Amino acid sequence: MKGWIGRVLRVNLSEGTYRSEPLNEEWAREYLGGRGLGTRYYFEEVGPSVDPLSEGNNLYFATGPLTGTLAASAGRFNVVAKSPLTGTIGAANSGGYLGPEMKFAGWDMIVIEGKAPKPVYVYVNNDQVRIEDASSLWGTETHEATDRLLEMTDPEAKVAVIGPAGENLSLIANIINDKHRAPGRGGMGAVMGAKNLKALVVRGTKGVSVADREAFMRAVKVAREKLAQHPVTGSGLPLYGTNVLVNILNQNGGLPTRNFREGVFEGADKISGEAQREGRLLRNKGCFGCSIGCGRVSFAEGYDHHGEGPEYETSWSFGADCGVDDIDAVAMANYRCNELGLDTISMGSTIACAMELYEMGLITKEMAGLELRFGNKDALVPMVEAAAHKRGKIGELLSMGSYRLASHFGHPELSMTSKKQEMPAYDPRAIQGIGLNYATSNRGACHVRGYTISPEILGVPQKLDPQSTEDKPTWDKVFQDLTAAVDSVGMCLFTTFGIGAEEIADQLSAATGIDYSVDALMKAGERIWNMERLFNLKEGFTSADDSLPPRMAQEPLPHGPHKGKVSRVPEMLPRYYDARGWTSDGVPTEDKIRELGLQWAR
Amino acid sequence: MKVLFFATIRDLAGRKEDQASAGTVRELLSLLSDRYGPAFRRAVLEGGAMSPNVIVLVNGHHVAHLKGEDTPLQEGDQVSIFPVIGGG
Repeated sequence: MKGWIGRVLRVNLSEGTYRSEPLNEEWAREYLGGRGLGTRYYFEEVGPSVDPLSEGNNLYFATGPLTGTLAASAGRFNVVAKSPLTGTIGAANSGGYLGPEMKFAGWDMIVIEGKAPKPVYVYVNNDQVRIEDASSLWGTETHEATDRLLEMTDPEAKVAVIGPAGENLSLIANIINDKHRAPGRGGMGAVMGAKNLKALVVRGTKGVSVADREAFMRAVKVAREKLAQHPVTGSGLPLYGTNVLVNILNQNGGLPTRNFREGVFEGADKISGEAQREGRLLRNKGCFGCSIGCGRVSFAEGYDHHGEGPEYETSWSFGADCGVDDIDAVAMANYRCNELGLDTISMGSTIACAMELYEMGLITKEMAGLELRFGNKDALVPMVEAAAHKRGKIGELLSMGSYRLASHFGHPELSMTSKKQEMPAYDPRAIQGIGLNYATSNRGACHVRGYTISPEILGVPQKLDPQSTEDKPTWDKVFQDLTAAVDSVGMCLFTTFGIGAEEIADQLSAATGIDYSVDALMKAGERIWNMERLFNLKEGFTSADDSLPPRMAQEPLPHGPHKGKVSRVPEMLPRYYDARGWTSDGVPTEDKIRELGLQWAR
Repeated sequence: MKVLFFATIRDLAGRKEDQASAGTVRELLSLLSDRYGPAFRRAVLEGGAMSPNVIVLVNGHHVAHLKGEDTPLQEGDQVSIFPVIGGG
């Protein structure tokens, strides 16, 4: 195989064994890699109904055929398992250097089965595999653990590790790789924690072969030139990072504020990308093979702390959503999440939910240990620490995400989630298409399953009225299918600001030697999307779960450009199902299943 | 009316906001270009028309969904000017 290595490493922690096996070539052609191929394996080997925190929930670290090649921004990998937060299939995507290192070590995918009897880490050095005692690392934070693992193995190795949050089985725990990158959503850190797996350490010294080197480099050159010339990928993201979105979403009235009670935040400019660049940025940083370099190496003034971020989502979750306009407090909460191993979107949104419960008098000062009011910047870090360590009743509740927190107090409607996962930083009442995407996302509310913000707010590749609903079902489908393909080939989703399916298909075809037309690439994305849907249906999810919190339909935005507007997901949903070739109940039809070759998944 | 500048447009204007009076978005961009110089002009205008590389909002609404560069302006309006940006 070319592009793919052709090998899977399977590690069984219960037995303390490992073995190499050939990659299923037919599946690789149809499901590409990463998110798609990892889910194909998961579906085959685990299937629905497993307890996500049991040893039966296999964990798949999966690269794509372009991961580790010179293709544009192709440093991505996915972690696939059933999500303990949502109960859906979970696939969390990350950049950095770990994914390419897996390929350099000679593995497309590393499967972790079972549960170790005591804390361990897995060290993969090319063909050598060791399952090592991690007792001395248990309890350490992600940066310290990474440094110590590099000392214990190879300073050139790449590390994916969990922090105390994952060890303590927080449902919003993430995995941190390369210290600052995260397969963040869905609680994949808790899946590792439940396996007593502190870390995966990988060192590889081999390469990745492509099928047609000349054609590949031609395709890479075209893609990279387009990325360099495009205003978003060539200058906007390198200069300001993702945080540049704070102001434009706020000006559009779509920056969710104080637990989605409002869509305009009066303190937005203070936590924006502009403010970050002016006084808190040390430099930008890129992942493997990336010409964009959207990463922010930054510091928090007054806290004697530096790190990476905050990204837009985090500036929103700890900033506007908690009513906090202090850029340093937000950055500090971000750094602590990375060090403790928590998803910043879910953590910030869960604190925002707790703030609303506090202001209703349901969480007391005694329980929180502080004034948990909106706008209290000094509440952020203590609540993050409490959640990671499950410290006290408040920590226990926060660690489970906002749905379980709000349900505990009898108010699940105050959790801003879909399928129990927190909605990201775009208000569905101001931007209709993203609401439909949140509601239909196969891993619970997520912006990077179908980023319609691009046409609805940013005007790329064309300008759609954020309040229109006629066109959104079709756009959502196309964005979701393309994203599934991008996540599976191993490229970064941000490339799609500057290049399209054609450039991706050209690079993929030249790398693999398999002729992927644009249609074939999009069909693979659609196949992956439908496979995920079929998995969730088997888990018992129904069209009733394709929904948003009642606040989105019942409480109009109180002010701003979209004052008086509500989300109209129920109006769009039938047309979305129709565009997908699903029944009115949201089930893929027999014709669609046959068209995509998914008969096996029924 | 109040005009707000963001990202690179803020750098080119050298300020976060300003006051101006103009009949349309195109007239406003031209007036501001006279005020802030050739680099600002290159960023917001192309051949005398609104550049495809800027995002202009009038009272929070993208002018593409109003009347484009011919969108009429009134005292009391708020205009926000961004370069084409992205993130996630």
